Amino acid sequence: MSIDKTEELVLNMGPQHPSMHGLFRMIVHLEGETVTEIEPKIGYLHRGIEKLAESRTYTQFIPYTDRLDYLASPHNNWAYVQTVEKLMGVEIPERAEYLRVIFGELARIASHQVMIASTALDIAGWTAWGYAFRDRERILDMYEMTAGSRLTVNCMRIGGMSAEPPAEFWPALESFLDDTPEMLEEYYGIFFGNEIAQGRLKNVGIMPKELAENLSITGPVLRASGVQYDVRKAYPYSIYDRFDFDVPVRYGCDSYDRTIIRMDEIKESVKIIRQAIRDIPEGPIMAKVPKVIKPPVGEVYHRVENPKGELGFYIVSDGSTKPARVRIRPGTFVNLQMLPIVAKGWKIQDVVAIFATLDAVLGEVDK
Amino acid sequence: MFGKGLFQGLGITFKRMVGPNITEFYPEQKPVLPSRVRSSMGLQREKCICCNMCAMACPNGVIKLTGEKDEESKKRVLKSYHMDLGRCLFCGLCTEACPTKALTVTQEYENAVFEADDMKWDMIARAERKGKEG
Ligand code: SF4
Ligand code: SF4
Repeated sequence: MSIDKTEELVLNMGPQHPSMHGLFRMIVHLEGETVTEIEPKIGYLHRGIEKLAESRTYTQFIPYTDRLDYLASPHNNWAYVQTVEKLMGVEIPERAEYLRVIFGELARIASHQVMIASTALDIAGWTAWGYAFRDRERILDMYEMTAGSRLTVNCMRIGGMSAEPPAEFWPALESFLDDTPEMLEEYYGIFFGNEIAQGRLKNVGIMPKELAENLSITGPVLRASGVQYDVRKAYPYSIYDRFDFDVPVRYGCDSYDRTIIRMDEIKESVKIIRQAIRDIPEGPIMAKVPKVIKPPVGEVYHRVENPKGELGFYIVSDGSTKPARVRIRPGTFVNLQMLPIVAKGWKIQDVVAIFATLDAVLGEVDK
Repeated sequence: MFGKGLFQGLGITFKRMVGPNITEFYPEQKPVLPSRVRSSMGLQREKCICCNMCAMACPNGVIKLTGEKDEESKKRVLKSYHMDLGRCLFCGLCTEACPTKALTVTQEYENAVFEADDMKWDMIARAERKGKEG
């Protein structure tokens, strides 16, 4: 009897599993500890958000977008309200645009902090987890004092912002920005510089550039595979063409680069917010939009750069107060395609690391 | 040197170990939330003009209210006002729609209950109870 060949083992991971980022399930086929096949199973968090949109008015749907990628809810608000504004041809006030950029970039920082923390946690770096979450708390406090909620912020409206930040918002923002270099240094010291973390992430789960492009991967995951594509630069929306910032690109194509690229992006976000604070004009934060929102008959697609990838909304209007159809193109849903391809041949603990670096949020994947 | 990063990380941990504490000691110490926080709902009955704007703004049909005509002043007054908090998204669209700010967000956050029926709030009764408690 030969002993170098083991029988195939089929292992179920999730949907309730600490490293499954919500409710993701994968059926892993193993040969010893090596993964031979992965069958991703999604849908455990499906709430039918696209369908819900059809029975809500345009404004009433905004809070539901919070519940897509709930780690960066201002971005979902933003993508949705901009799509409706595009459909209606509404110009929004300058101050509102700047506030949207500030909130959007804060959300990007917060989302990346969660990503760094949970990647650390998934590869058993318990201590590192606390550091990023500690700092994210300050961003949530800023959301809270402005819009009244920490996670499902619901801070944008069709035509502008829901509220003007209070006076204490600006010093809190300044001090947060001032502290970011120290924060990043700490994340590096406690996590990225750690040899064990590097051993677990470097050269693990290589996704070559061609594969990433063929799979329509977007966001930091794509940019870590050496493709310089960012919706903010490629198709500038809002007022992104006014800011001076770089799109960080890394060429390692591995899990380590997919994680550490978020550190580079946080630095760029800080740069954008600083410019926004410098240039923000006084003025109203809401455009004059009719009380009852009734976009003309038509259809429109609009996309933004969500922290996790390209987020698009496609809305069909039949001229009534409710959308006829809303289709959401979530970044992580598309990015998730790479998992069964890239993770094949790696050990089971590497699959956890590769999945973590995708930064999937199942609220967005399942909708 | 291999292992330098490990020691660097340990250094950070020790530095923070002797630094100030950042955790909150809830429930011994209760945090005071900013005044915009949407963690609960409150109704001031005398301000309400029974216009139904809040119920129409709500995405989830949380609010059900009825009014009746007051014979003396010829105005509509509130008869009942119910909210099913179990369906509430705490989005605040109702309070934004309210023209008289009769319905407002409040900052009470200890709203957990044992029975599903306890999430159905009679807002008028709550307001009266609150008024008595001062
Ligand atoms: S907070 Fe939102 S969901 Fe709750 S009652 Fe008001 S409008 Fe409805
Ligand atoms: S919108 Fe305000 S005034 Fe009108 S019914 Fe509701 S609570 Fe009363």
